[in-house]
Amino acid sequence: MRKRVYLAILLSGLAGLPMSLVAQSGSPITGKIIAKSDGQPLAGATITSKSGKSVIKADKDGNYTINAQSGDFLIIKNVGYLSREIPLTGNGFQLIELEADITKLDEVVVTGLASGVKRSNLANAVTSLNAKDITGTVPPQTVDNTLFGKLPGANVRINSGAPGGGVSIQLRGISTLQGASQPLYIIDGVYLNNNTLQTGRSAVSGAGATNQDDAANRIADLNPEDIENIEILKGSSASAIYGTRANAGVIIITTKKGKAGRTKISFEQDAGFATIQRYMGSAPWDEQKINTYFPESRRQIELERLKSAQGKTYDFEKIFFGETPLLLASKLSLSGGNERTQFFVSGALNKEDGIMKNTGFDRRSIRANIDHKLNDRVSFSLNSNYLNSNTDRGFTGNQNNTGASIGYNIAYLPNYYNPFPDEQGNYPDSPYSLAQNPLAVRDKGINNVKINRVIEAASLKVKLFENSNSSLDFAAQGGIDFLSSNSLIYLPEDLQYQRNQANPGDVIIGRENNFNGNFQAFLVHKLNSGGFSFHTQVGSVYLTTERNLLFNRGRGLIAGQKNLTQAAVQSVYQHYDEKVKDYGVVAQHELNYKDIVIGTVGVRFDKSTLNGDANKFYVFPKASLATNLAKLPGWQSETVSQLKLRGAYGQTGGLASFGATYTALSPTVIGGLVGSQLSSVAGNRAIKPERAGELELGADIGFFNNRLLLEATWYNKNVSDLIQDLNLAGASGISTKKVNAADLRNRGVELALSGTPVQQENIRWSSRVLFWSNRTKITRLDVPSYLSGSYGATFGTYLYKEGYSPTTIVGNPQISPGVYTVWGDSQPDFQSSWFNDITLYKNFSLSFLLHWKKGGDVLNITLYNTDNGGTTKDWNEDYNNDGVPNGKDRPGKGTAGVYVQNADFVRLREAGLSYTIPKAYLKQVTKGKIENIRLGVSANNLFTFTKYKGYDPEASNFGTTAINTGTDLFQYPSSKRILFQLKVDF
Amino acid sequence: MTIQLKHILIVGLTALSFTSCKLETIEDPNNPSIGSVTHNATKGQLQTLITGVESRSRGYLSTTANALGTFGREIWYFNSSDARFVQVWTGQTVKVPDANFYSVGSIYASPYQTIKQANVLLEAADNTQAINEQERFAIRGFAKTIQGYQYIIPANALYTNGIRIDVADESNPGPFVSYEEALQAIRKILDEGYADLQKAGTTFPFKLTAGFNGFNTPAGLGKVNRALAARVAIYQKDWTAALNYLKDSFLDPNQSFDLGPSHVYGGPPDTFNPLFYVLNASVSSIGAVHPSLLTDAIPGDKRVEAKFFKRSSPLVNTVGTVPLSSDYQDKRWATNSSPIPFIRNEELILIKAEAEAQLAHWDNSIESINQVRAKAGIGAYTGAKSKDALITEILFQRRYSLWYEPSGHRWVDLRRYNRLNEIPVDLDKGTVFEKLERPLSEWNWDDYVSK
Repeated sequence: MRKRVYLAILLSGLAGLPMSLVAQSGSPITGKIIAKSDGQPLAGATITSKSGKSVIKADKDGNYTINAQSGDFLIIKNVGYLSREIPLTGNGFQLIELEADITKLDEVVVTGLASGVKRSNLANAVTSLNAKDITGTVPPQTVDNTLFGKLPGANVRINSGAPGGGVSIQLRGISTLQGASQPLYIIDGVYLNNNTLQTGRSAVSGAGATNQDDAANRIADLNPEDIENIEILKGSSASAIYGTRANAGVIIITTKKGKAGRTKISFEQDAGFATIQRYMGSAPWDEQKINTYFPESRRQIELERLKSAQGKTYDFEKIFFGETPLLLASKLSLSGGNERTQFFVSGALNKEDGIMKNTGFDRRSIRANIDHKLNDRVSFSLNSNYLNSNTDRGFTGNQNNTGASIGYNIAYLPNYYNPFPDEQGNYPDSPYSLAQNPLAVRDKGINNVKINRVIEAASLKVKLFENSNSSLDFAAQGGIDFLSSNSLIYLPEDLQYQRNQANPGDVIIGRENNFNGNFQAFLVHKLNSGGFSFHTQVGSVYLTTERNLLFNRGRGLIAGQKNLTQAAVQSVYQHYDEKVKDYGVVAQHELNYKDIVIGTVGVRFDKSTLNGDANKFYVFPKASLATNLAKLPGWQSETVSQLKLRGAYGQTGGLASFGATYTALSPTVIGGLVGSQLSSVAGNRAIKPERAGELELGADIGFFNNRLLLEATWYNKNVSDLIQDLNLAGASGISTKKVNAADLRNRGVELALSGTPVQQENIRWSSRVLFWSNRTKITRLDVPSYLSGSYGATFGTYLYKEGYSPTTIVGNPQISPGVYTVWGDSQPDFQSSWFNDITLYKNFSLSFLLHWKKGGDVLNITLYNTDNGGTTKDWNEDYNNDGVPNGKDRPGKGTAGVYVQNADFVRLREAGLSYTIPKAYLKQVTKGKIENIRLGVSANNLFTFTKYKGYDPEASNFGTTAINTGTDLFQYPSSKRILFQLKVDF
Repeated sequence: MTIQLKHILIVGLTALSFTSCKLETIEDPNNPSIGSVTHNATKGQLQTLITGVESRSRGYLSTTANALGTFGREIWYFNSSDARFVQVWTGQTVKVPDANFYSVGSIYASPYQTIKQANVLLEAADNTQAINEQERFAIRGFAKTIQGYQYIIPANALYTNGIRIDVADESNPGPFVSYEEALQAIRKILDEGYADLQKAGTTFPFKLTAGFNGFNTPAGLGKVNRALAARVAIYQKDWTAALNYLKDSFLDPNQSFDLGPSHVYGGPPDTFNPLFYVLNASVSSIGAVHPSLLTDAIPGDKRVEAKFFKRSSPLVNTVGTVPLSSDYQDKRWATNSSPIPFIRNEELILIKAEAEAQLAHWDNSIESINQVRAKAGIGAYTGAKSKDALITEILFQRRYSLWYEPSGHRWVDLRRYNRLNEIPVDLDKGTVFEKLERPLSEWNWDDYVSK
């Protein structure tokens, strides 16, 4: 990371004036370097004469003057562009155009804790997304929403369509069988909190455990516009240096920096709307259906209701999910500085309402990134970010008996029922199964989360020693991520369900603080000697996290009141504290021979209070080797411009969840006495971290001066010592005990083919095809085989058994005691994506991203409910002609096979069209005051092709979990977003 | 190369200075640990474990009452949010309960959690000097009485599938034993508890909740213990023993029929009475009175009046494969903090009637039956003085006297007399179950141990 910072400072410092780094000879030759795509000057491009005598940098206007002989060659390089070799034929002025390098081979990738490696020298397939990849096509609502289809090896799925994020990212399969199997997030060196914070909605709606709150994981708070770059270390071989928390990979986010020079002001305004992606539809009702659906005692009144409706019907899906909300985003950034100090300051306001009334997501962000160079030896930076978000996600998903889930509720309403309030505003009671008027829940219920968050990242770099071929630096870095959440869940006393309770009205008010603080100090040594360069770093890292939450509940509320003191029954819903400390020591040594052979060895020693023995070091080694065969002196091929063979092996850890070492006596109160009862989960003081060891092999082959690049990767990742709940015999009185008892294997391939098939004066087309596939298998299970997840064997649940993937779905009927029928697998067979970026006449830009997921089953429990409610679209039909309608047939079959459904899809993830006003014209009209104006229109999820009949083949009721994904149970329906953009740079 | 080695040395030494960081174990900030009570527990800690036993001992109630109540068609457990409560529990889809049968886990797991909690209490009491011998006997007597009661619940649910009795070591549970052996073992545990209570002095050195009011002395709890033993004895068809146990129980026809120990409930942080529903509530989940209770009742039966509430609009269940309807809901609970008794004087009178009938003491039996009939306002018994007639009569009275009580009496009673076919399933087109399967965790555990 530090190297990247320095490079930026160095480049920006030099950009102002052409400066020779090496003594020059020959006669001066002048020229200008511009980007081929838009004609912009490329400040800071390096120009080297092939004879090796002269090295020069272009000035801020792209101009250069170099001393060279005619007959020599100039080698032009600029980060992000393909290098060119130009023969010197005379002394005339040369205009040199560089073509953008979509392969990004020269870009420096942050791989170590205090260093980076040039992409062309990497031994791993590290996916890197720059600002254009992240926000270039469609301005995303949240950062996690930008990653779909862009990461080979990743299984990215949205938990629900509710505004405000909530996305699960699994890199290279499943890395743990418990917890979330989510990657570690690092932003500017700070450990970022990506927890899903509970809200209490599940308690008030009766859904059950907090994992059905449909809360967003907090990566959603970040402002995507601030991000310069995201690097994804997908497996242990790449992420080993992050040690004990890196089993599920590491996502490294770097925010934007200022550059020396004129202060640039950039303003962008987006406005658009969202609509539901698709409706499921519902079955009509008639007299005959009423006579079979309702029991005798109700038929008369229902027939009267049907009659009095006089043919009027209500499309509940449209009533509830048919809004087309306004989406607004305003973004402003200022950046600039001088040689010693650079700044990047930004602010953003986002306001996106949902497709259901009273839902929406607002975010405010302000950031200041400051870099300062004290003198030639000492420099530091401080990145400050304050974030505020306000999310209303409404009541959707699971519920039990409260009716407080819109989709669930309307699944049980016949279409002749009128739920609208009368003139006095009184909502009619619902006489149907869920006994709650859903409109009243939508209009009066509150599910609100407010987040205040501060992320501070600081770094210090001191050059301790430097001579012509070696240097020693001290680099320290640290920061905090403090997050405070205030949640409010409220169902007022006058709702139908509440009125029928002993204590009507229910409110849960939650306060949760999360704190991450980390610090690291490194010594970095570099040495160049005889074509070899050595790069050594040694340091230590420290992390502390704290979590404190207090949720209070009030029931029996005074009319209209939400304050807890207005409740007849006031209680502490949850009070919980958590504190963790990690400490690690890291050493890494890299050897590079002329960029031909690059080898790295490293080791990390980690300890954590989450381990049974808090003070024991666990060792995580790594080693990698990359060879650039095309850089061998004798390499002649014109076609193959790069040929890199690479291999890497590394180990990482996965920590037990907090509390795994404790056998607790939990509190209970009965009849005024307080007691202690033995927890049903026994802890284990011998618990150790899960350990992943990954071997990654690959080849990167560039053709035609790297205009076409193929990256092929194979990996085998074994995760051992997986923490399991040893399910004790039910009669033992303790359900489970934490043990290290399982191993699993992820094996997969990742292919990336990128290139620029067309590169002409007026049309430029670049394209990228990704393909990836992963297979998981439990290779050892030292606890009894078990079923876990979703809602049990009736609809399908997950099988944990040696020789099977834990994503295997089994369910009724039972074959023998404890052995169930296998119905499917939630893991996709493969995924593929196709990205295209087409520029026409230099000013029009069209880009789109298609994403194809093949395989991967969903447990469609929504269907079970719409069948029971008489509302499934094909309920009235009779596919098997047995005289019983489908809606009665399916639930009566007693097989989970009805609900385990294929969820293949092809989805247009992103599509965007933009127009940049020609620069020359703009300059003339605005007298140079405005540098750039871009207009655009873009869309997310415009089309989905799938046979799956629910709202979204990706839905996941239980949030971000390792295995228990893919349950469709009335999640907030997914929407498509369409945005118009205006961007002005001053 | 020498330069490099020198630098590595410097770097390495500097790094070593960082490694002095020692991490201390962080103790659980939220709960005490089990280790804090199993050795040298204070009197206060023993009290919290005892309260823990009492609290755990009600965990089985709602699922057991609703599931077994549905199996015996005392009720239908309507739950419109999850059709499986009707569909699976009435046997509309799954005809024979399997190892992962829907939502019956706590009928098995919860009593065993109580038994485990009581074992922790016994261990704590054995390993402390904070109490004297007499106090230790009091704790043992309490723990074993509760354990005896809790074992009955899984034993009746799993019936001939058997249960485990030896569960002291959670990592090495004893074998499954047959229903008969289980009942024998339960009686032994109750007998041991009773013997301990005899040596426990006159007062308890600990507090129980108001649920044990009238029974919160060694003598009082002894009467509860004997009542439970009498219940076990009739399951064993050991009629003489049943009568003997009753003599030392709280059986008293002149006292309130509701006399007996209860599980107590309250507002948070306590737990609400799980069977309470507001009268006429328009709710989607509720135990609905099975219509046969009304059609089969003797006109004027005060129990019908006291227990069944006629709603202004019927309870309707449209989920599952067959629509169902009931006009009545449970009327027994005044508030959401009403206590729920788990063995009552009325049951003891009926146990007496049954044991006497089985021993051909017709007049004694009829005397007890008439005590119940008089209270119900349905006049004296006029039927035949034969075992068959009297047992039919007693089962009928038990159906109304013990309706929808936590132990699921109706289902167990009909099974005891091979009359499960009398359970009415014509309305719901379901199946009558005989027993629950051993839970999946047990199959898996045995499988695991055998490897």
